[in-house]
Amino acid sequence: MPELRESLNQDQLRAVLAAAGASGSWDWDIVGERLYVDYRFAELYALPGDDLSAGFETSAFFRAIHPEDRPRIRIAVAGMLAGAALFSKEFRVISPSGAVLWMHGRGQSHLDEDDQPVRFTGLLVDVTERKRTEERLRIAQSAGGVGTFEYSDGFATVSVSSEFCRLLGLHPADRLPVRTINAVLCEGEPLLIPEGSQAAPPDSLGGEFQVCRGEDRERRWIARRGEVLRDADGSGYRLLGVIYDVTYAKLQEAALRDLNDTLEHRVAMEVAERRQAEEALRQAQKMEAVGQLTGGIAHDFNNLLTIIMGSVDMAIRRTESSADPRIRRALDNAMKGAERAAALTHRLLAFSRRQPLDPRAVNVPELLAGMSDLLLRTITEAIAITVDASDEIWTIEADPHQLENALLNLAVNARDAMPEGGALRITARNRSLSDTAAASPTDPGGEIPAGDYVAIDVVDTGTGMDETTLGQVFDPFFTTKEVGKGTGLGLSMVYGFAKQSGGGIQIASRPGAGTCVSLYLPRSIAEAEQSSDQLIASAEMGSPSETILVVEDDDDVRAYTVGALRDLGYGVIEAHDGASALGMLARHEQPIRLLMTDVVMPRMSGSELAFLARERQAGLAVLFTSGYTRDAIMHGGRLDEGVELLPKPFTMKNLASKVRELLDR
Amino acid sequence: MTPEQVELSELERDALTEIVNIGVSRAASSLRKMIGDQVLLSVPSIEVVSQSRAARLISEREVVDLVAVRQDFSGPFSGRALLIFPETNSLELVRAVTGGELSAEEVLEMEHEALAETGNVILNSCLATMANMLRRSLTMTIPEVLRGNGAMLFEVDERGGNGGLVLFLYIDFAVRMRDIRGYIAMLMDIPSLATLKELLDEFIAGVVGDDA
Repeated sequence: MPELRESLNQDQLRAVLAAAGASGSWDWDIVGERLYVDYRFAELYALPGDDLSAGFETSAFFRAIHPEDRPRIRIAVAGMLAGAALFSKEFRVISPSGAVLWMHGRGQSHLDEDDQPVRFTGLLVDVTERKRTEERLRIAQSAGGVGTFEYSDGFATVSVSSEFCRLLGLHPADRLPVRTINAVLCEGEPLLIPEGSQAAPPDSLGGEFQVCRGEDRERRWIARRGEVLRDADGSGYRLLGVIYDVTYAKLQEAALRDLNDTLEHRVAMEVAERRQAEEALRQAQKMEAVGQLTGGIAHDFNNLLTIIMGSVDMAIRRTESSADPRIRRALDNAMKGAERAAALTHRLLAFSRRQPLDPRAVNVPELLAGMSDLLLRTITEAIAITVDASDEIWTIEADPHQLENALLNLAVNARDAMPEGGALRITARNRSLSDTAAASPTDPGGEIPAGDYVAIDVVDTGTGMDETTLGQVFDPFFTTKEVGKGTGLGLSMVYGFAKQSGGGIQIASRPGAGTCVSLYLPRSIAEAEQSSDQLIASAEMGSPSETILVVEDDDDVRAYTVGALRDLGYGVIEAHDGASALGMLARHEQPIRLLMTDVVMPRMSGSELAFLARERQAGLAVLFTSGYTRDAIMHGGRLDEGVELLPKPFTMKNLASKVRELLDR
Repeated sequence: MTPEQVELSELERDALTEIVNIGVSRAASSLRKMIGDQVLLSVPSIEVVSQSRAARLISEREVVDLVAVRQDFSGPFSGRALLIFPETNSLELVRAVTGGELSAEEVLEMEHEALAETGNVILNSCLATMANMLRRSLTMTIPEVLRGNGAMLFEVDERGGNGGLVLFLYIDFAVRMRDIRGYIAMLMDIPSLATLKELLDEFIAGVVGDDA
């Protein structure tokens, strides 16, 4: 500056300063204690401008400076006067018009040979605009949490803002070494700022980085955005960009993703559950439909069978022993055919769980022992039969006749699975299920609720079944037997019986490894009854004084029943519906001993009739007959308490013993 | 971290920065005479921090090892002054002060001596100026060259240090187009810093007068 001042005249200097954007210049004579200023300085500071060459008192330097900035500048100037080399301060000046302007004062000291400061010269530059811009930028950065950086390739340091430092947890500075910045990155993250002069310029500044903040070691996510500015000659580049914290967004994103993931999982579970429920519902609906169909058929069919069997029965009894034996044989064949038809309808009802069950406390070992004769007759000699049931087996609650039926069915299935012979084992054991036994592909019998059961296993060493077959064994009309050999109702009947009895069925089988069917029947708290209710073999006769009122809407069935009862010697009156039966009950002089009524009748059902009849004649014995009861006298698959039922079709023998039993009670 | 009685006000910081600036300016002119070339030194900022904070401040900025010139001082306020460079910068500085005509081996040989001498000039100027401006006198020991990381230089030990404080000054060197950065750190105990603060207030009162 001294050189400059010496080589240029005042005017030239003024021109240079104006071109440099200077708002004024000063020359402080330290030794002479005078301040010399140019006309711009004088104007700005409102100093009298008529004789600038005379100079001013040095205190004039501070006069226009904003009071808040004045002490600071006084200290800085004191430093310059004492020998500091450089002066670079920003401060506010109040102009004559009252406007506050930001000035950047730059100056330096001039030393004599003894290194003593003699002059202090400098320039004032108006930086008000820049200050405002800086302020806006500063507020934008701090309010927006945005830190700026500028990097020129090849340099070891980066120009940064204090917000930049704050975001990375670094001590605020204007410049930071590249390595200091990259050192806050978590392991494995790409570099925030390229390192080394050989590094290729990045394609863009977009990116997110995980950092381990310098100050508190907290892990944060930082987003980097900005522009890659290439030098005009293409030799180098600058990176000008910003960083900001995106940890919250990242966490939200992660939480949302987590939620989404589990949502999918939850939806999948829900859908699977629903599918299962739908499958179960479909199965139930199928069974219901088949059940209704079979129930309807069975009802009519049993009426027909009752007539057929009754008539054949009567014909057999009335055939003289001297008659042509071919007539007798034909009648016997007709009876067998009717019996088989009756058995078929019975099975239809059983698998559709519409058979009336009459559960009692049953001693399983006794029942199995009673069946051994039957089994030996049914099963061929090529098959060894073992029945194993210890005396500790609990008493169960089940319909003993149906249980025998079910076991016989299983035994026949086992026999058919062993055409070459083998071993059949029937064992009973106590089982306590602590949890509901779940349904599974190899356990198609469905769930069995927790509880105490007696499991009766029917095990064969036969051909076994594969999984596909296992899945279908309980379907009605599914059979592996040849056409004509099986109805396909066997296992489904057993299944229906087990479910209806409150138990269940499990089946395990592998091709070539035999089959094990386990029948679970619930334990009974009652003691087993003695099997005193065995059907009495011979037909019991009645007397004409024992009047029976027969109510049946089917004329043929009624005619047969009435005929049979009269043959047995009873006095019989008949009615074709409930209303006329009640009328007879009122009119008849002799007491009626027994009301024998069909269950399913139009207008008034059998149970309604029984209720009304008992109102008129307390203690009247009632015997229901039915081919299919449609739950009228059953609840939960069992006969209501005190209800006696003679299932259709019935033979004369059944009829005789059942009626006698009721009348003798 | 910093006890209240030694927390420097903005004005006190300005005053101290200015005083140190005078010191480094003197050092610059001394170096100029040694090197025969333009040397500019300035101190843009100043801070009072704990020893461990000072160690972290350095290691945050300087990834490489450090070289330091150490001088102890005693008087109304006592302590230890450190002039610190990144190791890579120290050779630059040595080349600058030795005129750049030495071979690499010679630079390495000269390094220790040149550093000690440069450090002496700068630290001496700073401390002497401080004493002078604050109208007190200080005595100084001969310089010592140390190498190590921030924690070693600031004697941060496992037990958490002795509670001493550090006056931390960032200095810019400009020597013949070489950018050299360095730091001046003055380790002082709390009573010494409190004394320094009082002396600064006296100085400010003298300079600012009615404007304060």
